[in-house]
Amino acid sequence: MKLFHRVILTLAIGLLPVMALWSLLFYYGMVGEINDETDDALSDYAQLIMRRALVGAPLPQPDNGSNNSYSIVPVSEEYVRNNPQITFYDEMVYIPEKEETEPARVLKTIYRDGEGQHYELQVATPTFERKDLLETVAYNILGLYAVLMLTILAVVSIVYYLNMRPLYTLLKRLDKYRPGTKSTNFTDTTTVVEFRKLNDAVQKAMERAEYYFDRQNSFIGNASHELQTPLAILGARLEWLMNSDTLSEEQMTEIIKMRQSLSRLVRLNRTLLLLSKIENGQFPETTEVDVAAIIRESMETYCEIYAERGIFCKTELPEKFIVMMNESLATTLIGNLLKNSFVHNSNGGCVKVSIDGNTLSVANSGKEPLDASRIFERFYHKGNSDSTGLGLPLVSSIAERYGTKVEYSFADGMHRFSIKFMQ
Amino acid sequence: MKILIIEDDDSLREIITRGLLNEGYIVETAANYSDANDKIAGYSYDCILLDIMLPDGNGLRLLEHIKSLKKRDHIIIISARDSLDDKVTGLDLGADDYLAKPFYMAELSARIKSILRRSANADGNKLKAGNITLDLTGRSVDVGGKEIALLKKEYDILLYFLQRPNHIVDKALLAESVWGDYIDTADNFDFIYAQVKNLRKKLDAAGATLTIKAVYGFGYKLAEK
Repeated sequence: MKLFHRVILTLAIGLLPVMALWSLLFYYGMVGEINDETDDALSDYAQLIMRRALVGAPLPQPDNGSNNSYSIVPVSEEYVRNNPQITFYDEMVYIPEKEETEPARVLKTIYRDGEGQHYELQVATPTFERKDLLETVAYNILGLYAVLMLTILAVVSIVYYLNMRPLYTLLKRLDKYRPGTKSTNFTDTTTVVEFRKLNDAVQKAMERAEYYFDRQNSFIGNASHELQTPLAILGARLEWLMNSDTLSEEQMTEIIKMRQSLSRLVRLNRTLLLLSKIENGQFPETTEVDVAAIIRESMETYCEIYAERGIFCKTELPEKFIVMMNESLATTLIGNLLKNSFVHNSNGGCVKVSIDGNTLSVANSGKEPLDASRIFERFYHKGNSDSTGLGLPLVSSIAERYGTKVEYSFADGMHRFSIKFMQ
Repeated sequence: MKILIIEDDDSLREIITRGLLNEGYIVETAANYSDANDKIAGYSYDCILLDIMLPDGNGLRLLEHIKSLKKRDHIIIISARDSLDDKVTGLDLGADDYLAKPFYMAELSARIKSILRRSANADGNKLKAGNITLDLTGRSVDVGGKEIALLKKEYDILLYFLQRPNHIVDKALLAESVWGDYIDTADNFDFIYAQVKNLRKKLDAAGATLTIKAVYGFGYKLAEK
């Protein structure tokens, strides 16, 4: 969830009880005020009738257009004792002029005439319908809530994006960041202390990462370079030994085995050097490379080398597939992918190479899926102790250099590696 | 044939010297920039092996210096830096070849021979051993004057052998050289066996005085019958 959405959601939820409480208070306040006013009017009206009744003046006609109604009933002493002198209450009252029942505010009061007879006067005036008021208030509150929310949304989004801009600039930068790609110095001119601190912290972390990345890279590069001379000496001395005539067959076999190990070491060292060179971006020159042609040529050689393993090769390639790349890196990339598919294959298995759109995929028979999270790690190899464990890291390193990725999947007894080329 | 080895590592210098002496060259050595400078100023050599990473000066500067003296010495750069830039710079400055460490002695000796042959005579593009002649320009092979037809891989294998007479050739190295990077150490090399067998058959049929002998099951050697 985005921070912005979260802020809006929290605001919306937080405002809900506040608005509900407010509307409740508003409703009761309103009802109280209306009743107050109505009661005052009723009292006046009751007094007017009482006064007229006492002096014997004519009472108002029932159909005087005011919708007010009244009744005067004589009551006993006992009734007077048991009832309060004045009561106000709400009641449904039948209004003859309108011929319908309506909610009304009623005033009951008891008075005594000159002869000591008690009368109860009941005055009613039609008043508002509580349900209607409640509905109106609810609708208004809902409308207010919606309008308020929209307004708040608009204001908050403006305020939010104005204030949070440095955060998004920073995030964009972090998204783009890859260790080893010398990040340009970051110039965000925010004056907000917190963002400044955040930027500084990120800048420092990046510099540190960059420093260690460089150090590690140059360490691998230097170590590999330094190893070249002793490796050369070792090789030359073994060769010298091998060409002497006094060796027994047993000694010779030992030397040969040493030399095979040395070959492996040389290869390993060479690949490490290549990796560190790729990561240092030492293959800048790019040309138009025909990947399809490289694949065709390589496949021919591999089919020849692995002929006796009875591997079935199938290629689905377009006439041409041009990619802008460094040629030797392209050859290394394809060579390693293809070699992988032959070496880690079963006898009588199959290799399928195809280019579909911009995606190159190389698939080969296999028994069970590989650990996709680890196969691109350096020196990760399972079972096969003779492999360097650098083939796939090399492939993924080259792919990364060109802003793409190697995807691995396993389906129908086939390992599949695919690369989507940018064109 | 006089060769100067300029290499700062004692052990490597010693083993190269030994190897080249064994091949019948006259060998002199220099361990650093100033020694090398003295030697170059005072003598002339048929071939100079130059390590471009010297403790007291860049080997490429030495190369420039040699070329500025208008000497006709051939130069092979040996370097731990296998970078294209260095290779290009070195060759641009007038080096004849560039060999990245680690290399095999047989490889070095083949490169030296090839350079010396190129300059020695007009026939420089031909390799001879016994009654076998390989023409590098025409990519053709004849045995006792009669041309034989070889497939591309067979030709490459024969060339590899002819460049390394009397050396035991490791199957793995042969495979690496002929098939290039396609080969993995994890592979077995049965496919080479088939190619070598065919080549041997063709040479025998043409009446060659040399044949390819298997050595201890790990490699081969081009030797007299």
